[in-house]
Amino acid sequence: MRLELRDVRYVYAPGTPFEVEALRGVSLVVEPGEVLGIVGGTGSGKSTLVQHMNLLLTPTGGEVLVDGVDATTLKKSELRRRVGLVFQFPESALFAPTVEEDVAFAPRQLGLDEEEVQERVLESLRALEAGELAARSPFALSGGEKRRAAIAGVLAMKPEVLVLDEPTAGLDPATREDLLALILGLRNAGISVVLVSHDLDEVAEVADRVCALQEGRVRAIGTPAEVFYREPAQAPATVRVASLLRESKPEIGAPVRFAETLDALRALQGA
Amino acid sequence: MTSRSLGQFYPVASPVHDLDPRAKILATAVFVVGLFLIDSTVGLLFVAAALVALVTMSRIPAGTFLLLLRPVLFIVALTVLFQVLFSREGVTLAEWGFFEIRSGGLSLGFFLALRILLLVSSAGLLTATTAPVALADGIEDLLSPLKRVRFPAHEVAMMMTIALRFIPTLGKEAEKIKGAQAARGADFSEGGPLRRARSLVPLLVPLTVGAFRRADELAEAMESRGYRGGEGRTRYRELRFRKRDALALAVTALVLLVGILL
Repeated sequence: MRLELRDVRYVYAPGTPFEVEALRGVSLVVEPGEVLGIVGGTGSGKSTLVQHMNLLLTPTGGEVLVDGVDATTLKKSELRRRVGLVFQFPESALFAPTVEEDVAFAPRQLGLDEEEVQERVLESLRALEAGELAARSPFALSGGEKRRAAIAGVLAMKPEVLVLDEPTAGLDPATREDLLALILGLRNAGISVVLVSHDLDEVAEVADRVCALQEGRVRAIGTPAEVFYREPAQAPATVRVASLLRESKPEIGAPVRFAETLDALRALQGA
Repeated sequence: MTSRSLGQFYPVASPVHDLDPRAKILATAVFVVGLFLIDSTVGLLFVAAALVALVTMSRIPAGTFLLLLRPVLFIVALTVLFQVLFSREGVTLAEWGFFEIRSGGLSLGFFLALRILLLVSSAGLLTATTAPVALADGIEDLLSPLKRVRFPAHEVAMMMTIALRFIPTLGKEAEKIKGAQAARGADFSEGGPLRRARSLVPLLVPLTVGAFRRADELAEAMESRGYRGGEGRTRYRELRFRKRDALALAVTALVLLVGILL
């Protein structure tokens, strides 16, 4: 599905002394089957923005379109199934006695029959390499295991767009790698992924397009190379290295991913 | 962001905010006890006028202050309704089947409503004009004579401060978890009372788990900064009971005394 945000504005606590303008007219499109990375500093509006994608927050201005249709006209439960949102630190919302039951919560809310629910639970847990956690209590798991269980809980709805808010924050490197691999796997299966992150290096690895937010506005949007080479000082390590070399060796091009950069450097060395 | 509610500190500069918290706590106690000794509506109206003057002095906007009273309006309405419908005193004003409205019920209802509103307003004014930390300091100091009989005055005050401090934190946490569960298809407003109560489980379990986790973290943070209870602990901000604090207390007592006599 194609998810479009058109001039979305959001004001917290309007009309009070605590009024904050979090989004000041954001327009962007999540194309079917792409990974869109959303980057920006603390307070740039990233987390507010993603909550508009399944209308947990209703924009105070502008509109959200699902395949061209105004999202407010769709059934909320339907919209939330199609756009799966994983909050920051999603493990804080685990509640069931076992991981299995926790992951089963969303499919049961959808009213699926028990066989289908079990199938989805196993499938999502396996996708996160958490199959062996099924019978355990979510409160007895490690941080990384909890995170995987919580993401499985959203994946079990089989969303068409998966929105992940800082999914790798505080994770060990191995779990992080697994998660990035999962994102690419979902994309290859035709699911769009929105990845919100502070970590430019990981966004560089998986994103097809990048949107940079600043103070509630879109500062830049485009391919990772377009966005990151505009301001190499605020770019992933790969881009910073390549742009330094570019001053004397322009033939290095504009690599972004780690492997791409390595190849470009090797080509330079060989030449 | 949650809306302002009863008992939330409203930080502005005013003579009322500036008073010693102990004076305010004692004055509120005097006020509350006095309210129950007043038996005439005129007396209550006199005290109410004085309270209105005090709220004006506190520079809390009238609208905001009235908002503080919203949670008790239901109780007030219920009290008035019962008095009006079931009182058997005074002249009958209207009849409707089994019920009759009598003048005695109306005036008693008004009297009780006024008393409840004044009660809540005085407590609300105390917490709206006193920062939670100052409030706890005041309570600790007022309880300190009990330390001689080994009453843990400091610890009790610290517990109160922490409890007050964490209300907004837990409120935010609850909002977040509600959002996360709504994203998984939870609906907190659908179905009958039983289904609604059951739908709260995915909210209450993580909230409780989170509260325990926070308590652990806070205890560790306090210990790592050398906190070991009230014994031998000194203060950065010393409380000072000045002339105007004594004056405020005296005026409060006087107003209540006049109210009782009226």
